[in-house]
Amino acid sequence: MIPVTSTSDPETPDPLILLIDDNEVDQFLTRRAFAQSGFRVRLETVDDGDQALKFLRRQPPFESAPVPHLVLLDINMPRMGGKDVLRAMKSDETLRRIPVVALTTSQSDRDKQEMYDLRANSYIIKPVDFNAFVEIVRSLCQYWFRTVTLPPN
Amino acid sequence: MHGVRKWQSELSHEILAAIIDSAPTANVMVDGEGRIVLANAEAERMFRYPREEMMGLGIEQLVPERFRDLHRIHRTGYLVQPLARGMGQGRDLYGLRRDGSEFPIEIGLNPVETQEGPFVLSAIVDITERKEIENRFRLAVEAAPVAILMVDAAGRIALANPESARLFGFSVSELIGQPLDMLVPDAQRGQHPALRQGFIANPASRRMGGGRVLHALRKDNSEVPVAIGLAPLNTPEGQLVLSVIVDISERVAAEEKQRALNEELERRVGERTAELAQAIEALTESNVELQQFAYVASHDLQTPLRGIAGCAQILESQYSDAVDEAGRDIIRRMVQSTVHLQALIRDLLAYSRIENRERPFMPVDLNAVLTESLALLDASIIESHATVTHDPLPTVIGDRTQLVQLFSNVIGNAVKYHGDALPVVHVWATPEEADTWRISIRDNGIGIAAEHLERVFEVFTRLHSHKAYPGTGIGLAVCRRVVGRHNGRIWVDSVPGEGSTFHFTLGVPASTPAQPESEKST
Repeated sequence: MIPVTSTSDPETPDPLILLIDDNEVDQFLTRRAFAQSGFRVRLETVDDGDQALKFLRRQPPFESAPVPHLVLLDINMPRMGGKDVLRAMKSDETLRRIPVVALTTSQSDRDKQEMYDLRANSYIIKPVDFNAFVEIVRSLCQYWFRTVTLPPN
Repeated sequence: MHGVRKWQSELSHEILAAIIDSAPTANVMVDGEGRIVLANAEAERMFRYPREEMMGLGIEQLVPERFRDLHRIHRTGYLVQPLARGMGQGRDLYGLRRDGSEFPIEIGLNPVETQEGPFVLSAIVDITERKEIENRFRLAVEAAPVAILMVDAAGRIALANPESARLFGFSVSELIGQPLDMLVPDAQRGQHPALRQGFIANPASRRMGGGRVLHALRKDNSEVPVAIGLAPLNTPEGQLVLSVIVDISERVAAEEKQRALNEELERRVGERTAELAQAIEALTESNVELQQFAYVASHDLQTPLRGIAGCAQILESQYSDAVDEAGRDIIRRMVQSTVHLQALIRDLLAYSRIENRERPFMPVDLNAVLTESLALLDASIIESHATVTHDPLPTVIGDRTQLVQLFSNVIGNAVKYHGDALPVVHVWATPEEADTWRISIRDNGIGIAAEHLERVFEVFTRLHSHKAYPGTGIGLAVCRRVVGRHNGRIWVDSVPGEGSTFHFTLGVPASTPAQPESEKST
């Protein structure tokens, strides 16, 4: 059931995802889950909100950073949290178009409300079970890179 | 007799006599000289004269001697100005019988013009019976233990009994004939005439003042709270109002006392309510603290758990070939433990919301609870080479998930806080009361100093460094809340260096009284 290829057109580059998560083990597991999903994606990671905005705005040290097709955003991070990143992105003329998926362990209703109020495009609660997480990553790729037409760059 | 025939020129003597004789009142006619010229049967009966003796008798013979002179004067005066009227209005009149006895009467007078001059026809009624009734009424009023006043249409006191004199501080004679208003306090005096007129216009027995407390004025100008009942009374002297006045100062004082008591009670209730509100506020604060903790737990505890669980699962699914069977067993235990930990965190979150989402209590077999708890603790039991034994355990009523939490927390502590000796834990149950079991869990661990025996159940209490004994400090607080929710008690006996025994009580399901296992029928 695992797709062998990620795109039908070999000329099209693999989709670029920016993962914003302060936890190294989580970064590792997410990368691993994408690898196991069968979808080919490019996964860039930054450790906090501050770096994320620098990446998206191509500020040092990310002057040559590409524009991601999708942002996966953790909520609880030191310094600049996920909500601040989302607020900054959605009030930015160009960054507001990039779909943002909250990827978090928080089950708090307040977090869900605030993230959607700030125009998050989806809210995903990371399961503890890794196999379940792989399934989620698979359906995420299926949706954002197969079903949805993303905004033109 | 001669005059009568002339006066009655058209009617026959027989017919006239028959009419007058059959009248129910005594009828007597006198001539200008005051001689009786006519008397009917009732007059004979009333005055006890034979008719022939009555004829020609001076009318004053029927009047008691003491009134005769006055009667004569009145009679002469009446002939000068003869009008049909009642005689002696407002005064008591008496008749004198032939045997000398007197009786009270009422008389109606009619002038009759005859050829022999003006005659007077009088109708006489014996009012002995009515006087007797009035008398009895007066006696009853006199003897009544409540104040009674009779007031005439002009608002004057016509009758006052001794009790009313006592109540108002006047003598009876000081009251009679006086305006009633002298007993009404200034504040009410203005409205009183209107009220009195209203009553006379629409007389019916009723309570005055519509249940309000009224006040009466005493001779010494003091006021007394009274209840007043009114009744209309029709008498020959006209419409009277009978008022019964009850001194209610004791009742009013009692009500005042009651009101003061009620106010005091209300004040105290208010104080307690304020205290309760403060307590609730404090509780709410601690609840908020707990929810904040739950929030932090949901992220900060789950993140490392996900890391471990994820890595263990990857190891299990993709690297199991790289290790031997013993290694695969360890990986399996690792995955299991992460699942258990996940369940614990989930239950802790559920527990933090326990007030809103209580699961219904069911009969729970504590043997199964113990087995489940030991499975959760499998890793630490193996690691510490602990031995956990138990006697047969009863079935109690409760929340299974919470009881597993309770057992695993207490046994987990017993296994965790061990000294140099390998941990040995024993679990048993003792019937405490007919409907209660005491569960005891004894260990041979490091024990708890006496001064900490209470504190260990407080949330976030830690007695040891993280390095010596890692933990969150919530385990026993959770236990206390679980036991509290089951309406039980939890406490600990301990000898530092020798071990601790935790006890808690749990209720039995209805219809299965607590009794030692050996006494149960098989």
